[in-house]
Parts: sequence; C-alpha cells; structure tokens
Amino acid sequence: MMERFREHSEELGNNEIDDLEVIGTQASADDDIFDAIIGHIEDIFMEQNFQELQKCFMEKHWHEFEDKEENKLCYMDIFKEYIDIIEKHIETHLMMNIPNFSMEKFIEQLQTRRSELDGEVFEILFTFSDFTAFKEMFLDYKAVKDGRVEDLSKGICITSGGLH
Amino acid sequence: MGLLTILKKMKLKEKEMRILMLGLDNAGKTTILKKFNGEEIDTISPTLGFNIKTLEHKGYKLNIWDVGGQKSLRSYWRNYFERTDGLIWVVDSADKRRLDDCRKELHALLQEERLAGATLLIFSNKRDLPGALLAEEIRDVLELESIKTHHWKIVWCSAITGQNLLEGINWLIDDIAARIFTVD
Repeated sequence: MMERFREHSEELGNNEIDDLEVIGTQASADDDIFDAIIGHIEDIFMEQNFQELQKCFMEKHWHEFEDKEENKLCYMDIFKEYIDIIEKHIETHLMMNIPNFSMEKFIEQLQTRRSELDGEVFEILFTFSDFTAFKEMFLDYKAVKDGRVEDLSKGICITSGGLH
Repeated sequence: MGLLTILKKMKLKEKEMRILMLGLDNAGKTTILKKFNGEEIDTISPTLGFNIKTLEHKGYKLNIWDVGGQKSLRSYWRNYFERTDGLIWVVDSADKRRLDDCRKELHALLQEERLAGATLLIFSNKRDLPGALLAEEIRDVLELESIKTHHWKIVWCSAITGQNLLEGINWLIDDIAARIFTVD
C-alpha cells in the first residue's frame, strides 16, 4: 500500500509525498490502536479484580432476587447500577493503560466497524447489557448462597463409597 | 449513553426488536403477553413489577417488556423507555369510567423523548365483554387522530380468546421493520 503511494506520488512532486504517507500510516495506526484497545478489554475480564468487582456487586444485591417469573421493579435499578459500574471499570482501565485514551473516539471507531464486531469479547460485552442474562447470573449466585447448588470451587465431592 | 448501551444498539444483525407494553392496571397486558406466548392465562394476578418474554415471530426476535400499570408504579415506566422500537398501549374497552385517565397517561407518554421513534399499537382489549366500546369509539375518546408524532394503529382484541392479537402484533412488527431494517 505504502509502496504504491510512494511510486505514484513521485510524479506529483514532493509536497504530496508527505500528505499521502500520512494518510497511509494514519489508517494502519488507527487499526493498531483499535486492536490494542480490544486486547486490553479482553485482559480486563481475565483479571482477578474484575471478578472481585462482580462478586462484591452480587454480594450487595443477591438477597433482593427471587426465582420467580415476575421481576421486582428494583431489579431494573440494580441492573442500571451494574451497567454503570462495568462501564466505569472498563473506561478507567483503558485510561490507565492507553495514553490519551478517549471513550468517545473509541465509540466512533466501533460505529465505523459495526459489521466486524464479532468474537468472544463482543459476546461478553453484549451480555452485560442483557437483562435476562443479568437475572440468571444473580439467581445462580443466590442458589449457591442458599446452598442449593454445590459450590464447585470447594473441590470434588465423592457421592458413592467403596472405601474399605 | 455509555459503551455497553451503544454496543447493544448497534447489534441489529439478529433482527431484534424491543417492545414495551404499557397501559392502566387491569387492562390485560400480562394476559396478552402470555396468550401470545401460548401460556396458560387462568392464574394471572396484578403485576407489581415487570415481565419479559423473548419470542421469535416472523423471523424476528421480539423482546417484550410488560410493566405493571397501577398508579403507584407508573413513575417507574421511564426506566423502560430506552431503545424501545414499539409501544403497545393496552386499553380495557369496557372500563368507561377510566378512559379519561387512560387518555391522559397515553398522551403524556407520547411526549417522552426516548419514545420518539417508536411505533404505537393500541390494543382495544376485552372486546368479548358486554358493554365494551368499539375500537372506533376508543379511538375518539383517546383522541388518537391528534397523534402526529408516531405511526399508530388501533386494533380491537380479546386477550382471553386470543382474537386479533396476531393481527395487531403483525402490523406493529411490519411497521418497525420498515423503519429500522433496510432490505438486505
């Protein structure tokens, strides 16, 4: 791409050379920045403190949730608070890790890449704003809290004997 | 609007529609929702919170939100406006005493900026009850002709028998689809 620009621009005179090079590098630099941001977002979800943030949030609100079809009005407030917290966490993380990060600019980039937004990281992001998934997350947490579900993190449970 | 909300908005690939169903209490919103979804309707009690159903219809994924209509709950309706593609306003066509209240609530709702783009379907429900008004009469009492800000249509129905539910919803979906999904 750059080669072609350069060959072509030689005929146009020195002034244009710089301009065309700038356009070429700018486009790929944007791609690099975009990819880097996505990479950082992927990192966020793997981190311990993100999982702690989620756990802390569920610890605060799980007692409000009931395994019933009808939802309480307060679920919606909790849902909005959850989205706010996650958004702020993502933004803070990106601002700390990427110099001059701007959320507005990133959102603009997302909009121009609308058709390319596939992959696991986007699935995770979409799930955050899905109320049904949110409610299920709380009901699962509640089931563990109520002791109705074995907490798998506590290790293997032997269900039949034979130890003589 | 934050990152997650914007992303959600951009995800139109799956042909999802968000439909909000409102109206005074005892209008039949939950019964409509359950009947349309093929569920039993004999044990429905007044909704104090909200219900959500996700169902596939005509190749679209419909997310239907049904929020309780009691007076004390109406101030919470605003929490559900975001990203609404279609608004279903349900009227008890046999409850003549409260039609004034019904008109005021509907017209107040239509002033809401976040509902500005939404298609409006009015279900004139409980057609099966003796003394129920005709859809034309409900149209006049609710002053629907004065609505210039939204695409709207009034359809009579009976949530109990299921009559005309499909006709109403189909119109709603077609109108939304024509607005937001371009032909592939």
